[in-house]
Amino acid sequence: MKHARISHCILLVSAYLLAGTAVAAESEDIIKYRQNVMKSNGAHMAAAAAIINGKVDYKGQLGDHARALQAINKDINSLFPKDSDFGETKALDAVWEKNADFQKLAKTAAQKADALAKTVAAGDSKNYAARFKELSDSCKACHKDFRKEEK
Amino acid sequence: MFGRACFVLSAGLLFVAPPAVAADASTAGPLIQQGEYIFRAAGCYGCHTDEKHAGKPLAGGHALATPFGTFHTPNITPDAETGIGRWSEQDFRNAMREGLSPSGDHYYPSFPYTSYTKLSDEDLRALWAYLRAQPPVKQANRKHDLKWFARARSFVGSWKSLYFAPGAYKPDAAKSTAWNRGAYLAEAAAHCGECHTPRTALGGIKSGMHYAGTRDGPDDSVVPNITPDRKTGIGRWRASELAEYLETGMTPDGDSAGDLMAEVIDNGLKYLRKEDLAAMADYVLSLPPVEHAVRKADKKPVKKEDYE
Repeated sequence: MKHARISHCILLVSAYLLAGTAVAAESEDIIKYRQNVMKSNGAHMAAAAAIINGKVDYKGQLGDHARALQAINKDINSLFPKDSDFGETKALDAVWEKNADFQKLAKTAAQKADALAKTVAAGDSKNYAARFKELSDSCKACHKDFRKEEK
Repeated sequence: MFGRACFVLSAGLLFVAPPAVAADASTAGPLIQQGEYIFRAAGCYGCHTDEKHAGKPLAGGHALATPFGTFHTPNITPDAETGIGRWSEQDFRNAMREGLSPSGDHYYPSFPYTSYTKLSDEDLRALWAYLRAQPPVKQANRKHDLKWFARARSFVGSWKSLYFAPGAYKPDAAKSTAWNRGAYLAEAAAHCGECHTPRTALGGIKSGMHYAGTRDGPDDSVVPNITPDRKTGIGRWRASELAEYLETGMTPDGDSAGDLMAEVIDNGLKYLRKEDLAAMADYVLSLPPVEHAVRKADKKPVKKEDYE
């Protein structure tokens, strides 16, 4: 029994170590994950815009996109852990070097996405476009200072 | 090489310009308002303001990294000593249309007079009126930090004979008024081609590659192909989507503009009238498609070791 417990313990510890090193070492994987999350962010933005601008008639789905945007933008900063800057990333060093500024913009995006989701949930349709524009502007504000066009 | 401040100072001995008066553009006359509009379209603010370091508007000091070295943009506020306060309107026209400083020296084409030369007399007059109405800022210009082969300003004269054709935009009579308006805004004011067209080793515009994108853009950026090529350009965009992008920065797939283009939109294009943005979009998408891949291709992933 005692033996089994110890070997369990060793197994667990080595599993943690393995997991730990795997996460810490694979900057490339974090970058890919981040890019996929950001792509989905963009896809929901484009989908929401098409509905808000009246290009397509999927009004019933606007809430889905708005809630997705709210969730995705909740903590953008967490997608940029330290040491996730080596690999094919367009993230500028400034993300980490001026992290306070970056976090401020990420927080703005979170607030704007939250405001959009709430406006849509409330059915306040005359404000959809304005809230959407504010969210889109917050994306651009961050990309302007923190994303390189293909580094 | 002398700093530009030197030229301005020596020019000041010849011209005694009236002191600049700051005016609020909203209450300003129609000429100044027209000037502000063209100022937005021409993107003057972005390059002449060091936004990254919270610099004062138009006081210069914005570093522009290019394959020829780093250019530090000059102060274009009406400050007499460090800006262009002692310039005459003719000096301004010579700079914009001929690429010449008040003392007759050639400007480096990092100042895109190759495009601005196409601005109409009327718009130049309006732009000058607007610039004169801005608050003067005392901030000395910084010398350019150029690579050895780009240091001799006199070579710029030969460069101009190869790559520079001065003169205002001439409308194409075979095309519509809207098309010509779009062409004027894109070519003369917004100077899209200065970044979006690849350059030769000498820094001239590559012929046949108009708007085809480049991997050697300013500040080491990859500048996308904006010809209507479906594979490598923006041939899948509709004109309305492009016009929307120029206003909001959002692409048809929901991405947001970043980097220099976000700056161009935020400080300039988003202030333009919808019909002007639509005209620009129509014009750009009417150009010949060029298949030219600039994104990612040939790029090796950057490895940590490269930095150590």
